[in-house]
Amino acid sequence: MEKKTIESMVGVLDARMNRQLKQYMDICARCAICKDACHQYVATGDMKYLPARRAELLRQIYRKYFTKAGQFMPALYEAREPDENLIDELYESTYACTGCRRCTYFCPFSIDTGWITAVSKGVLIAAGRGNEMLGQLADAALFKADNMDMFDSIIVDGFKDVERELREETGRDVAIPVDVAGADILYVALAGSHSIKPAAVIFDAAGASWTLSKFEAANYGFFFGDPAKAKLIADRFMNEAKRLGVKEVVITECGHAYRVAEMFYEAWAKEKMPFKVRHILEVIDDYIKDGRITVDPKAITQRVTYHDPCQIGRNGGIYEQPRDIVTAIAPDFVDMTPNRETQWCCGGGGGIVAMEEFNTVRLASGGKKVEQIRATGATILACPCENCRLQIEELDKVHDLGLRIVPVMELVAEALVPKK
Amino acid sequence: MDWFSYLTSGIGVYVALVVFTGGMAWRVWQWSRTPRSPVRLALYPKPKTGSARFGKLLVDTFVAPQSFRIAPAVMIAAMLFHLAALAAFFGHLRLVHEFDPLVGWLGEGGMNTFAAWSGGAAGIIMMAAILYWLGRRTFGAFKNLSVPEDYLLLVLLLGIVVMGNHLRFVGGLHADTYRAWFQSLLALNPSFPADMAGRGEIWALDWHMLFVDAFLIYFPFSKLTHAIGAFATNLVRSGE
Amino acid sequence: MSDMNIDLELDLKGLLCPMPMVKVSQNITNVPVGGIIRAVATDAGSMADIPAWAKSTGNEVLQAEKIDGQFVFLVKRVK
Repeated sequence: MEKKTIESMVGVLDARMNRQLKQYMDICARCAICKDACHQYVATGDMKYLPARRAELLRQIYRKYFTKAGQFMPALYEAREPDENLIDELYESTYACTGCRRCTYFCPFSIDTGWITAVSKGVLIAAGRGNEMLGQLADAALFKADNMDMFDSIIVDGFKDVERELREETGRDVAIPVDVAGADILYVALAGSHSIKPAAVIFDAAGASWTLSKFEAANYGFFFGDPAKAKLIADRFMNEAKRLGVKEVVITECGHAYRVAEMFYEAWAKEKMPFKVRHILEVIDDYIKDGRITVDPKAITQRVTYHDPCQIGRNGGIYEQPRDIVTAIAPDFVDMTPNRETQWCCGGGGGIVAMEEFNTVRLASGGKKVEQIRATGATILACPCENCRLQIEELDKVHDLGLRIVPVMELVAEALVPKK
Repeated sequence: MDWFSYLTSGIGVYVALVVFTGGMAWRVWQWSRTPRSPVRLALYPKPKTGSARFGKLLVDTFVAPQSFRIAPAVMIAAMLFHLAALAAFFGHLRLVHEFDPLVGWLGEGGMNTFAAWSGGAAGIIMMAAILYWLGRRTFGAFKNLSVPEDYLLLVLLLGIVVMGNHLRFVGGLHADTYRAWFQSLLALNPSFPADMAGRGEIWALDWHMLFVDAFLIYFPFSKLTHAIGAFATNLVRSGE
Repeated sequence: MSDMNIDLELDLKGLLCPMPMVKVSQNITNVPVGGIIRAVATDAGSMADIPAWAKSTGNEVLQAEKIDGQFVFLVKRVK
């Protein structure tokens, strides 16, 4: 590898170095307790998917350039200068990681493989080996933001279409407000109308003061592994929220977008936002509990199960609200085992659904989820994350599960009792 | 003391302690001057109150219950090893000062029998755990995950424990003899007491100490810094 | 535009955003440089997504139109 490339890789590692990462690099005992925690390793037995190995690849570079011991005795630590072989394995191992942090949960030292792979992605980008697809998706999102005059009318026209569809489907006029200064809520959806319609119906029923963001919540800059781009992509709706002076930003049923907005953004922006960030299910749960919307407790007659998206549950702390919502409308609710913090990743996180090259490991890694879903006997799977739903829909086809896979809010919209 | 004894059981001990203490301080200093991650790397659920969080940090670090659930065999071996090592450490404090109340209670002979049993048990448990780990790394699926550092540490530990067990099970000397040597170390004038002269235990002690010295010197530059680092990394479950 | 040579037809109906853009991107290398993909999607978000993707990757959208409730794109691979 060229000296300049190596220098820029090491530079990225240096820039991204923080206390936690340094400790993860220094203290991992390579005990491999993480092996049974990772859905990809369990499904394939392939060493490059072992969480400790994912970290070890970055550690080889760290030892070589950041520790005196590694420079003095490289062989002892397998410290090495990055070469094509290392980069190839690092690429496979890193971009396949869904960032679910199930290994972090089971690690006796809580080593955060999701964070390590996030840094590895930065190193790969510096080596010119960032994932092309994720990079393109991130750039497209930024292009849209930079050329809003080109897209503004297309996007607003799209929202008008959604209004029309809602009128046809519900027989009522449900407005989709855009650019409403002073609204309480800025709702950030995905580009697809499926993430707008149920929320619009629920906000309407609750009499909420809301406005729809022109930008989607999805953040491919985050999946790509470039925090600068990820911040710019999140800036789009965060700046919109500031401009409109809303009280809160509500993120749609999307896992990584919620984590980016709630856990990461303020640190990236280095400022305290003048509004809070909530997940749409926290809002809907409040609406039901406060009586702002009325739902039919027997609306959903089939058996329902719930999948905890990693970024919302283990990494986001939202476990009970979605369950409270589902049990309020579906009498036959069965939880999967294990669930909540020990829940198995479905295999669709981290942007992997957009990267065709990982299809084989992605589908194989869904095996645990398929077993879990089968064991519940449910015919409806509610899940508040787009990537999870894409993955589980594919698993449903491959394994013939006969499932209906829906966002939680879609079930709520179906269960709404109109106000008299 | 001949030159080898002086190197391993004399001056080497001071060098090892200086490197160990300085190295660990340097490592902690390095960690502390590296800024914490600005983004929240939180793992849920978290306890609500400060004391519950502190309690969770201690449980997570000393017991790691979730690791037991997923990998009971490794964790049982790890826990037994760490407890036995702790017991062995406390047992060695007899060399600093005899546990007088215990001797008063058990009698001189009783104390030696107790030490033989407890020290012997600790030594055997540690040896079994080390052999299990060596086997797991060498013959298991994780050979490719292991690096020379892992083997070096296990070999050093094995050396310490085998020679320690040798002194315990084969040697005929009791604690008061070793205490005399240890006191000479504390007095900065290392020498063996007269009743060790010409005995085979010197050879075993020297090798025991060679491994101990090497282990302590290497400790701060190895993954064993988890002894301190784990408290910080486990904060992800309980902090913030 | 009917006389145009279509190198690849993509049926993206039913796919939710951003998957239509992902599929176009994944398939762009399956046509030669200068080749054309005709993609039909049903998600309204694709009307902004696909042109934005094309602009940022240096490809060209020859057509992006709503026809009978479907969104029809002609995308030309430029490089």
